[in-house]
Amino acid sequence: MTEELTATEKPSDNPVLYVARPMATAARQFAKSLLRPSTIVYPYERLEDPKFREQVQVASGKPIGVGAVWDNYRGVHALNIATCISCNLCAFSCPDLCIEMVTVPGGDPKHAKKCPEIDYGKCSYCGFCSDACPEGCLTMTTRYELSTPKRSEMVYSPQKLYEVYRTKLPMNPIRLERPANEDSILLDPPLCIGCNACARDCPTQCITMLEIPKPTAKPGEKLPKRIWKEPVVNDSDCVRCGTCVSVCPKECLFWGSRR
Amino acid sequence: MSNVTLYSISYDLSHAVVFAVGSLAYGSWRAAIDSNAVVTTIAVLVFAVILLAASMLNTIVLIWYERKLLGRFMDRRGAMHVGYAGLLQNFADGLKLFRKHTFAPREADDLGFYFGPTAYMVSSMLIFGILPISSGWNSGALPLSLLLALVIFSFAPLFIFVSAWSSNNKYSLMGGMRSAAQMIAYEVPLLLAVVAVVLVAGSFDLSTIVYEQQNYWFWGPLVVALVVFVAAMLAEMERIPFDLPEAEAELVEGWNTEYGGMLFAFFMLADYLRALVGSILVVLLFLGGWTLPTWVPSAATSFPLAGIFWFMVKTYIVFGLFVWVRASLPRVRTDQLLRVGWNRMIPLALLSVFLAALLVSARCLPVFGCVPSLGG
Repeated sequence: MTEELTATEKPSDNPVLYVARPMATAARQFAKSLLRPSTIVYPYERLEDPKFREQVQVASGKPIGVGAVWDNYRGVHALNIATCISCNLCAFSCPDLCIEMVTVPGGDPKHAKKCPEIDYGKCSYCGFCSDACPEGCLTMTTRYELSTPKRSEMVYSPQKLYEVYRTKLPMNPIRLERPANEDSILLDPPLCIGCNACARDCPTQCITMLEIPKPTAKPGEKLPKRIWKEPVVNDSDCVRCGTCVSVCPKECLFWGSRR
Repeated sequence: MSNVTLYSISYDLSHAVVFAVGSLAYGSWRAAIDSNAVVTTIAVLVFAVILLAASMLNTIVLIWYERKLLGRFMDRRGAMHVGYAGLLQNFADGLKLFRKHTFAPREADDLGFYFGPTAYMVSSMLIFGILPISSGWNSGALPLSLLLALVIFSFAPLFIFVSAWSSNNKYSLMGGMRSAAQMIAYEVPLLLAVVAVVLVAGSFDLSTIVYEQQNYWFWGPLVVALVVFVAAMLAEMERIPFDLPEAEAELVEGWNTEYGGMLFAFFMLADYLRALVGSILVVLLFLGGWTLPTWVPSAATSFPLAGIFWFMVKTYIVFGLFVWVRASLPRVRTDQLLRVGWNRMIPLALLSVFLAALLVSARCLPVFGCVPSLGG
């Protein structure tokens, strides 16, 4: 603010004007806000109320929350538990490590269903988790009210996030334009022991263990002690979450291009 | 209802209580309890309690009033949450301060540290015993009540300085020094402005000054004195723009930096008590006290306690003026305050004294009685 003061803003040398001018300004302000001050009484009145539509400059047709002001607003997450595939990508992508995958009821006995639990005390609302979510079940809403007297209530369980989803607030799925991941899961066959860990933990069940023929042992050669099966990845179903790579005990799965 | 005075109410209350207690006793005990001395003593105590309660209640409502007015001046609402429109907010704040632990800094001088706020509070409360608020609603006809009120009013910088010095904090001490230094700048014009009023009214008794305003209020003939008095009163109350001793941008919180809890509440309450007294003095000296102009229909003045009602209305309007000034003007520097006090306000006050003497000796004061807008 290095601009020069205009003539009307210059303090006057005349002592009467020096007192009278600010008092006139204050009186004008008082008269203007006597009936209706610019502030709203927030917990009792909300900007979402249609009577403030002009104040927040939202076009009349749009629901408030996705209008001109809040178009890209990122608030509390909404989680659709039903479509979540427990891929863990949200927790992987979180820069604040505020997402923890916790078990929720509803998974099959072998494959426990895990959904994100978000600690809003740490969350920076970057939206990476929503961007990473392959199924679009974790989105960000316009809900902004998080204050609570207890710190433990800042941690939102999957069920609580599902309650947010059920309120049908305007969603803001973060979808960045970028080239699709062309890489696939590749296998280094000599290392594989056929342990089934990748197929067991794959959230989309796109890995199947196919039997391979047991080679006949040459004289003097000792066959490795293993199960004679190998994983085959169905590329069209794979969401490229990398769970299989991380669970593989022999590090025989890796990212690579088939070409 | 016109005969009801504050003293008659407290006397009746005391008499009823003493009679009820005395009817339970026997013989000589009853005679001792029912004696006139006991009734009078209790009546004086009841009188004091009524004054205390009324002034405290008014002070707290005054804080609310200032917060709401300031809010509107700043395009917001002020306190809204506790009670209707935040009316009970200050009671909640007071309760919080009451519950807080009061402690003194280790190096502070305990005697001065606790004596300062208490004496400041007490001296501010004392003035209420003197001020008349309606005809008959005062503690008695003191012939020099105006002087006494101003004397007690001027005690405050001493107590501020004592508490500031004993806080053993450099910011407190600076605030106390400023309070003492600024007193000299505004006391002289304040008293000179009062001299003009006294010349016209011919009395130091506040009730008499009000009765002298039956025909015209003094703000008409003494408008210069009114301006000087209000400006000097702003400095006397240490309100913005003359709140140098408490300049929170420079001195943390000025002379009450080290105070918390109930001691801070004492300072806060006493500040607003003094603001209330200042507004009341302006109303008594210049705006006709509890009287209304003659052209006002008599229905407005004939209901019970009408005098007190109109007196309070005037007082709150004058305090609103102080809030208006607070919302508009920035804090002045020390040298500016001294220059305003000595170079501008004292000549103006002397001019007002001269004008008052001229008006009285030329016997042209009744002219103002013919102007209906001047009240009376």
